[in-house]
Order: sequence, then structure tokens, then C-alpha cells
Amino acid sequence: MTMAVSTELTILIVLFYLVLILGLGYYGYQRTKKVEDYMVAGRNTHPMVIALSYGATFISTSAIVGFGGTAAQYGMSLMWLTVLCIVVGVIIAFLFMGKRIRRIGKELGALTYPELLGKMFGSKFLIYASGLIFVAAMPLYTAAVLIGGARFIETTLGIPYMTALLGFAGVVALYVVIGGLIAVMYTDAVQGAIMLAGMGILLVLTYVYLGGVTAANSALEAMTPLVPENLAAIGMTGWTSMPEFGSPVWMTVITTLVLGVGIGVLAQPQLAVRFMTAKDGKSLNRAVPMGALFIVMMTGVAFTVGPLTNVYFMETTGQLALAAGNADSVIPLYINVAMPELFVIIFMLTLLSAAMSTLSSLLHTMGTTLGGDMFARLKGKRYSVRANQVGIVVMMLASLAIAVVMPRRVLLPVRQRCLWVCVRRHFCLRLRTVLRRRRRRCSRRSGV
Amino acid sequence: MFGISDPGVWMTYVICIAALIGCIVYGYLNWNKDSDDDGSEY
Repeated sequence: MTMAVSTELTILIVLFYLVLILGLGYYGYQRTKKVEDYMVAGRNTHPMVIALSYGATFISTSAIVGFGGTAAQYGMSLMWLTVLCIVVGVIIAFLFMGKRIRRIGKELGALTYPELLGKMFGSKFLIYASGLIFVAAMPLYTAAVLIGGARFIETTLGIPYMTALLGFAGVVALYVVIGGLIAVMYTDAVQGAIMLAGMGILLVLTYVYLGGVTAANSALEAMTPLVPENLAAIGMTGWTSMPEFGSPVWMTVITTLVLGVGIGVLAQPQLAVRFMTAKDGKSLNRAVPMGALFIVMMTGVAFTVGPLTNVYFMETTGQLALAAGNADSVIPLYINVAMPELFVIIFMLTLLSAAMSTLSSLLHTMGTTLGGDMFARLKGKRYSVRANQVGIVVMMLASLAIAVVMPRRVLLPVRQRCLWVCVRRHFCLRLRTVLRRRRRRCSRRSGV
Repeated sequence: MFGISDPGVWMTYVICIAALIGCIVYGYLNWNKDSDDDGSEY
């Protein structure tokens, strides 16, 4: 009987989550009265929803798990990425870029990012050219997200891969198609709140387990002599210190991650569209505090907890975090062995939320580009909800086809492949162990 | 600071916390500014 309760608990939480998400999709459907609602959420979105949706779209699964693992390898110097994310990704993005995008978008009546660019420069060619780029390139990324999400569901919930792939795609497509950007942003907001809670708990529990902030950081600093020789040879000086200036590790940390990822955020159309959903500059002013908190909590916690896992693993196993596998396996493994059972489920929802929020935003951006900027314009028609819905369905089918047909090794970046492999090996194993343990416990209790 | 001796690292935490506080203060001070029309409350 208790076994059923344990299994039911997991299923219940996932079902509750799905009902909530689909309910918000229906809410978006009810609130969508005209094409402007469908494409830019009626330009009247609540500041808190803008902030959480922006953050949930900004932060992908790899930012949580992949960057955490990378920080376990290279140390806390990666926190400069958090600095750049808050300065560029929030302050500059919201207050300088965002306000202009919103104002110009409203003045010109632009409903998509390609249309905004085209109207700004008075060029129809720019609309088609940027639209074509989005429609051609984004399905590859979407297919990678689909495969990652399906693999994750397959391994955590024990559902066959194709069922998981179609189910994952179907659920997200359903609420994006019926509810448009209102549904996307409200589901993003709930998913963002789950991510915020998950990372907050992770930070607090880590410092509690390691004896407090100063004690934990000091313990990590004391591990400096344990830096692997191969990393020390290329400039790594410790997990709580900057790498040697100009060394290969310094170049990796500063140029690739900090500049590449931190500044690259300004170029993403699915983020820029969020600003077009604000009613006025006041809404963006109000969104800034939550946006900043979200970004600091997501990236900052990953870059702090990642290196600290070395202290945990050294105390418990006598080895560094990376001794058990690659960088992408560190955070899932740490969650598995160090965190309470309930948190395993919360973290599962955190990763699922990160994947779904990314997928829904990509789908909406691609679909409105195809249905509005390409199809409707070429036909000489006005943008319509129906054309966008067809665009979303077509782009989802194209992404699904790529996910099924294309070889996974071509499609998935190494990071993502490693992530899901490690999730399968460690995280899901842990979840099943939890369920099995409860099953045994209840079997004993019930005398079975 | 915070058990970290390298300023290059602990400074990131100080900047992040300061930026976060700055963003909160900015939001508070500009809560009702830059409105397209008056009387629009959420």
C-alpha cells in the first residue's frame, strides 16, 4: 500500500504539474481575443510574469547542470559570468534595450522580432531574411531540446522514448497553439518559480551541509593543493581564485564563457519579444528586481554549488567531484547522493521546467515567424491567429521530424548528450532507488 | 571575505549583491515612472 503511495506521490506531482501547465494554456486561450494577444500577449503583461518568463527562457537546463559542472572543474572564477549576466542580461537588456524595443515595437505596431527589424529599417527584405534564418536554424536547436526532454522523461518516469518524445512535444505544442504567448509566458512564470525554489533550496542545503558560508568556502580554498596537475599546468590556481592571467584556463573562463555567453544573451529574439509584451516602461522598471534576483539565483547558485561539491565529495569519498565522471555528471550526482529524497523530485521538476520553458518559447518564435512574417506577408494578408497556429504546428512537426530522423550525434551538442547520459546514469537511478526503497519499506510495514 | 581570499573571486559576490540591491532600489524608486498613460495599475 505504501508503495502505491510512493509511486503515487511522484505521479501525483507530475500530473499536478501538467494540469497546472495545461490550465494556464487554457487561461491563455480564454484571454486571447485578437492577434496581438496571441503574438505579443496583448502588450499588457504583468511585470512579475515578464521577469520570470524572461529568466526561464534565458536559463536553460545546461545553465543549471552544465555550468554547475564546469564550475566544479574551473572554480568560482566563473562567477564573473553571473556579474555579466546581471549587468548585460538584466540591467542593459531591460533598461536600455528593452525599453527601446518595447517603445519602437508599440509605435510601429510590430508583432514579431523580424517585423520589428523590418519596420525599423524600412526593409521588407530584412523581415524575410531574418525570418528565414529563424525558421531554418531554430528547428535544429528545438530538436535537440526535444530529444533531451524526451530522454529525461524516458529515464525518470520509465516511459518508452517515442512515447515520451511525442508526449513532451504534444503537451508543449498544445498549450502554445491554443494559448499563444500569454500561455507561453504564464507557464514560463510558473516554471521559473519552480526553478527559483529548486535552486534556492540547493544553495541553502549545500551551505548547511558544509557548515556555513565561510566554513565551506574556506574548506574549498584549503583544497588548492589538490588541483589536478593537468589543470594546474594550464593556469588553474584553485577553486576560489582566478586562473593565471592569459593562461588557457583564463582564456576559457573569461573569453568563451563570460564574454560569449554573457553578451550573447542580447542577440536572442525569443528574449527580445518579452520586452514587446510590456504595457509601458513602468512595467519593465517593476520587472527589473525579480529579473535580477532570478538570474543571480540561477547562475550564481550553479557557479557556487558546483565548486563546493568538491568539498562534499572529498569529505565523503576522498575524491574530487570530477573523479566520478565528466563535468555534466557532477550536479546530478551531487543531488543524488547529498540531497533529501523529496528534493530529487523537486530537482526533476526544475529540469523539466527549464526544458519546457525553452521549448515553448522557441516554438512560439518559430511559429509566429513562419505563420506571420513568412506565410501571411507573402500572401499579402494581415497576421492572423490561425496562420500562427498553423505555423507553430508546422514548425513543431519539422522539429519532431529532425529529432526522429537526424542522427543524434549530428544534432546534439556534446554537452547536452553528456547531460542526459549522466541524468540517466545518476539522477534517474537515484529517483528509482528512492521509489524502490519506499516500496521495500512499505512492503515490510504491510508484511508483504 | 566569505572565506575566499582572492579579491578577483570574492569581488564577484560583492558586485552581484550590490547589483541586485541596486536593481531592487531602482525598481522601488521607479515603480510608477515611465508610464504610457496614467492610472494603469496592475
